[in-house]
Amino acid sequence: MILAQGISKHYGALTAVDGLSLDIPAGQFFGLLGPNGSGKTTTIHMLATLLAPSAGSILIDGLDITKDPLQARKKIGLVFQDSSLDGTLSVEQNLLFCAGLQGLSLKASRERLQELLPLFDLQDRRHAPVASLSGGMRRAVDILRGIVHRPRVLFLDEPTVGLDLPSRKRIWHFVRRQIAEHGMTVVLTTHYLEEAAPCDQVCFIRQGQAIARGNPDALVHEFGDRILEIEASDIARLTAQLHLKQNDFLMEGNTLLVRERHDTQVSLEEIQQQLAQQVETLRIRKPNLNDVFLWLTSGTEEEKTC
Amino acid sequence: MLAAIRAVLVRELIKMFRQKSRLLSAMVRPLIWLFVIGGGIGSLIDSATPGQYQRDIVPGIIGMTILFGSMLSSLSTVYDKESGIMRMMIVAPIPTYWIVACKMLASTVAGSVQAALVCVLLLLLGFLSPAIMLNPSFLLAVGLTALACAALGMVTSALSDSLDNFASIMNFVIFPVFFLSGALYPVRDLPAPLLLVSRLNPFSYGVDLMKRAVDSGGMASDFGVALSVGVLVGFSLLALVFSSWRLHQEARQARLFNLAGGRSR
Ligand SMILES: Nc1ncnc2c1ncn2[C@@H]1O[C@H](COP(=O)(O)OP(=O)(O)OP(=O)(O)O)[C@@H](O)[C@H]1O
Ligand SMILES: [Mg+2]
Repeated sequence: MILAQGISKHYGALTAVDGLSLDIPAGQFFGLLGPNGSGKTTTIHMLATLLAPSAGSILIDGLDITKDPLQARKKIGLVFQDSSLDGTLSVEQNLLFCAGLQGLSLKASRERLQELLPLFDLQDRRHAPVASLSGGMRRAVDILRGIVHRPRVLFLDEPTVGLDLPSRKRIWHFVRRQIAEHGMTVVLTTHYLEEAAPCDQVCFIRQGQAIARGNPDALVHEFGDRILEIEASDIARLTAQLHLKQNDFLMEGNTLLVRERHDTQVSLEEIQQQLAQQVETLRIRKPNLNDVFLWLTSGTEEEKTC
Repeated sequence: MLAAIRAVLVRELIKMFRQKSRLLSAMVRPLIWLFVIGGGIGSLIDSATPGQYQRDIVPGIIGMTILFGSMLSSLSTVYDKESGIMRMMIVAPIPTYWIVACKMLASTVAGSVQAALVCVLLLLLGFLSPAIMLNPSFLLAVGLTALACAALGMVTSALSDSLDNFASIMNFVIFPVFFLSGALYPVRDLPAPLLLVSRLNPFSYGVDLMKRAVDSGGMASDFGVALSVGVLVGFSLLALVFSSWRLHQEARQARLFNLAGGRSR
């Protein structure tokens, strides 16, 4: 559905995206992950035809988007990192406005609204000015705005940032339904990595380059079996005592993370016994996508090229 | 593409009627000018026929309504850029020039509606006759003036990044355009530099068309109909091309896309 080959974006001397390639099949839930400023938004804007790549090519559903951006846009829905609604207009007026821009007739727009509003229980608020809605509801309207024209591909740039748990859950429930019922392809960026766990494929980027990609479960599985998490005030001294290999540990403030992997010699139990008296907290847990991310972005892992 | 026009137009009209105080001041402003300036200056110069000066500036007063109405409406494009509505319009599957054309058309309608409301007030006050109001040449004058003012607002907003410099837009665009247009006095006797400015001012040609249509007897028009129509239409087309080009450039440089988060570029 989305095929990007070697796309780059330069802003003057700064390279925001650097030779990134992506292959996202139809109906996939895809997560683009990376630290602040790593080029996620820039990538999404290029895929969504808003920004012309400095190099590389992008096909959406077989269409070269630089040659035919208008045609490609019909297939694309985009929810921006920050809201783009008219606060003075009501929910309904905003959505009708967007539907009109997408070329829907007034009748078709109204019918579409009847389908969309219940998705986020917004029927009662349809006449409320958008400025009077809570952050979560406004985000919901933003998302509905992104799918009024039934796009084949939906780009969500940090859709859940700043929202409470119920609002976030509702958004994920909605996304799963769109994928299941309409075969929509969804491209997501987020900083809450636990939200990316249900993705079919994730790609970690740093400084505009892909540093790891794959199925989240596979990535976590490959990353390690268990994690030992140690908290202590003089963590640096303790770490030095342990003589760990570069790749096996990570220090984060007052926390030391040690990973156990099939090919490592570390015994978490040994460390546990060695340190038990000197630390505040000590626990063993399963690794998750967050650990993968931390290891990748701390740069201790030898960089994979993909 | 027609659905886009409808959407943009509906939004513009909703916003216009929503802002009651702004609409009210758009109705009152011309009347204040008519009575205070028209009455005051009129009492200085009208010795033979009382009220002649007031009648003479009626076309200019209608022009003022249009100038403010259309221009403020298309200046809201700056707000659209700031609030992210513009980038949302740009992701829609319509070309940029069409978005600009829709906005200009919507602002033209907004200005014309306000002019129509003011004309009704002027009619009730006895400054206009129904025959003049429904005269095609008058309607044409109103429509084309509104188009040119919308175009002027569009160019201004294409060139400015935020509404912070609204006061300077007022000072350096709206006031000069109004005062150097022949709306309040004949421009032909102005000193050469100012005369030149007034000839380059597209609004002058709109006011001139209206003077011709209203024909109050006191202030003669300066230009031929064909010239005025040509200037107004030509200017609007140029403005459309320029604004679309400019907006397209801004989109390419990603200036419209990163709003929040402190990135002001
Ligand atoms: N319009 C622009 N002009 C110049 N530099 C830009 C522009 N937009 C983004 N950048 C730079 O490009 C880099 C990537 O930015 P981008 O917004 O894509 O990152 P991101 O991964 O989305 O970050 P975040 O997680 O904070 O949203 C950053 O260094 C940013 O400062
Ligand atoms: Mg971003």
